[in-house]
Amino acid sequence: MADLPDDVDKRVKRIVSAILEVPVEEIRDEHYFVEDLDAESIQSVELMAAFEEEFDIELDEQEAMAVKTVGGAVDFIRKCMQEQKS
Amino acid sequence: MTKYELKNPAGPNLLEEMFDYDSVPKIFFDGPIIEIIDGREVVFDPGEVQARDLVITDTTFRDGQQARRPYTVEQTVVLFRLLSRVGGPNGIIRQSEFFLYSNKDREAVDRCRDLGLSYPEITGWIRADKGDFKLVRTMGLKETGMLTSSSDYHIYYKMKTDRKTAMEKYLGVVEAAIESEIRPRCHLEDVTRADIEGFVLPFVQKLAKIAEQVPEPLRPKVRLCDTMGFGLSYPAAALPRSVPKLVYKIVHEGGIPPERLEWHGHNDFHKAHINGATCWLYGCNAVNTTLVGYGERTGNPPLEGAVFEYIGLKRGLFGIDTAALTEIAAYLRQECHMDIPANQPFLGKHFNTTRAGIHAEGLSSDERIYNIFNTTKLLNRPPGIIINDKSGIDGVALWVNYFLGLRGREKISKIKMAKIGRWVVDQYEKHGRITSVSEEEMIDLLREHLPEHYERAREKGVT
Repeated sequence: MADLPDDVDKRVKRIVSAILEVPVEEIRDEHYFVEDLDAESIQSVELMAAFEEEFDIELDEQEAMAVKTVGGAVDFIRKCMQEQKS
Repeated sequence: MTKYELKNPAGPNLLEEMFDYDSVPKIFFDGPIIEIIDGREVVFDPGEVQARDLVITDTTFRDGQQARRPYTVEQTVVLFRLLSRVGGPNGIIRQSEFFLYSNKDREAVDRCRDLGLSYPEITGWIRADKGDFKLVRTMGLKETGMLTSSSDYHIYYKMKTDRKTAMEKYLGVVEAAIESEIRPRCHLEDVTRADIEGFVLPFVQKLAKIAEQVPEPLRPKVRLCDTMGFGLSYPAAALPRSVPKLVYKIVHEGGIPPERLEWHGHNDFHKAHINGATCWLYGCNAVNTTLVGYGERTGNPPLEGAVFEYIGLKRGLFGIDTAALTEIAAYLRQECHMDIPANQPFLGKHFNTTRAGIHAEGLSSDERIYNIFNTTKLLNRPPGIIINDKSGIDGVALWVNYFLGLRGREKISKIKMAKIGRWVVDQYEKHGRITSVSEEEMIDLLREHLPEHYERAREKGVT
């Protein structure tokens, strides 16, 4: 299994903070993008686009848009990185 | 008065016998049409078009060229080949007429003939002058149209002659054509302003008499030319403007059968298309058309409109390749620099584009709601949407994929369109825009944010 960087969580939260304009220290894994962080539909897509760029991965649109929480995004990105690097 | 009770079926009644989505909507009639002609009831059965050999004829390279910059020989050849594909092996686009006056005209005829296509048959167009007639002979054509003006406006004011002299001249050229084994097609110019009983019928009856004495391939044809677009399709309209009565008179009193009769209309009163279709219904087999309706002044019946009218009336394709029309439109735009109006039915860029508050996802889930028929199947043109403040990223994604012609797994993920989507949202939320985003702006965004896809589309001629 290829090694994964251990700062995925931190980098995801930094992106979420920048796009949704929420202080990074207030973002928790269990936060829902829409319900808790007020993400609009365009922002949800911008988040996924930023994740692709940051982690150099390709996200499946349907799977990506099914991710609802910050922690879910971290897990999903880790899974994609694992699949695409192996 | 009949009282109607609400019926509330378990599922929708989509009237699919008429509106089968994968076909052109079929045209049905409830019964006969009755016209009063010369005080008598005349019954027309519109259903008999099913059996009659309706055809479309083309004058893109003759009348069509009188209204725009001339096509090059190469352009003519490409368009001619595409017209042949549209008309299919049964020759629904039966003939195409050409000028013969310049070297370029004649080269175009030679090059098109060299393609060896069965249809459209190439015919010529000349003035009613025996000198001009040599051109037809030289080019080896089997049929030519010739001007036989029929109204007094033309006979007295343009030709500066009288009816008797004009008719004798026309008949002389007709006989000369037949002697040279070329079928004459008499273009009754300005017939919707002519004296039908005092000139048109006497002339046409002479043509019918000549026809009795020659073999079928040489029998004169008649083209009814609604030169100024005065023709009327309405029941009970009076001659000479009544299209139904004109056709009836020429067939039943003039002695010219439907297969030797053709309608050539103009669009001065927005009636070119419907008058052509009306001719089909009342007993004329051929409707003369041009691509996009380009023709003298306001133009002629658009060929593409006649194609879909034909399919609706005949309730089938009969070998017609409708998708080739989309290739024609792309070629006309790209290579011939033709400015096809965006809302031109069947060929315009926005002909199947909806703007009115329709949700992209709704259109995507069941396009039948706002699309006239399966335009993807029949024209290789999926329905489009206009981007505005209601479109959202889903609308943007739908627009981009439709525009690029990408379907199924080829579709670009909306994740790749985040920047385009952001630009659109900001237009309305930050800049207070109230107009929809134009196609040109969307193309610019594509070029900037999805350059590889843009280039591919450009190579395919989509942009």
